[in-house]
Amino acid sequence: MAKKRERLEVIRDILKTIRQNRQIKPTRLLYASNLSPQMFKDYINELITKGFIRLDIDKKEKKSFSLTKKGNEFLEEYRIIEDFVENFGL
Amino acid sequence: MDLYALLIQNKEIFKILYALVIVLICTIIVFKSDKLFRLSSHKGIQYFRNAFLFYGIGFAIRYFFDFLLFQSALPGYFYFVDELFEYFFIMGGFFLLYSLLWKKIEYPGLEYTSSLLNSRIVVFHLMALLIVVLDFLWGGYLFMFISQIIVFFIASIISFSNYQKKNKKYKFSKFYLLAMVLGFFAWVLNAIAEEYFSWNQGIVINVYILNLIFFLLFLYGVFRIRKLAK
Repeated sequence: MAKKRERLEVIRDILKTIRQNRQIKPTRLLYASNLSPQMFKDYINELITKGFIRLDIDKKEKKSFSLTKKGNEFLEEYRIIEDFVENFGL
Repeated sequence: MDLYALLIQNKEIFKILYALVIVLICTIIVFKSDKLFRLSSHKGIQYFRNAFLFYGIGFAIRYFFDFLLFQSALPGYFYFVDELFEYFFIMGGFFLLYSLLWKKIEYPGLEYTSSLLNSRIVVFHLMALLIVVLDFLWGGYLFMFISQIIVFFIASIISFSNYQKKNKKYKFSKFYLLAMVLGFFAWVLNAIAEEYFSWNQGIVINVYILNLIFFLLFLYGVFRIRKLAK
């Protein structure tokens, strides 16, 4: 059985997916994230609140997510954060 | 003149330098880990940062205390500052241990408005206050030593378990284990120096050296991890 992903790994996966697509629709991101709808909603709300992603709404009222500068910075620093947490056993 | 004699002869100056170096190390660790916490909101990093924040404040208080005493400050000043230093030091140890244990204690999704004072951490504050009061009444540091020996003993066991699980991939885990074991021995030596040797200067210098290595190991870890990850 696959190991349950840690919170940080889930965030990294969501941000990576958004970065790869530049802009992605909520439904596609939900499928790609492999999370339940409720958990997906919680993570997305957290990421928007923290300013890692933003919700864009176009003229046709279609929603999509894109990465912010802070989200990009998180992905750059992710390895350092992961190494820090694992090496110090936090 | 050997090194120990030189250190003992100029102990007041070296004590101030020692405290300043540790305050500087703690400040660097707090800023580096705070940056990672702000990006990740990882509670373990937050508690780790708090540990060094409290150690840093504790040593800063001690630095000013030593400096003022060295400059012949009022004798009445001593008790208040000494108990304050003890409180911050005990809390530093508790936060360090909690940074290793929080995943087993807090359920997923639990959010606090403050990592310095919440329903879990308040228990540590109360314990630290109790220890400080007991030491004040008994006159000495025995209760602080016992509490920190227990803290570092548990932290050493957890670090050993982490080292066994992660050493192949995460090389700093062995230094972390080493730091915890050094911390444990430093507290044991501290207790022995107070209880049986009336603060023998030779033993106290060894405690200072162990403490310095303890903090330097963490500083090394913080820089090494950033370098390796790039």
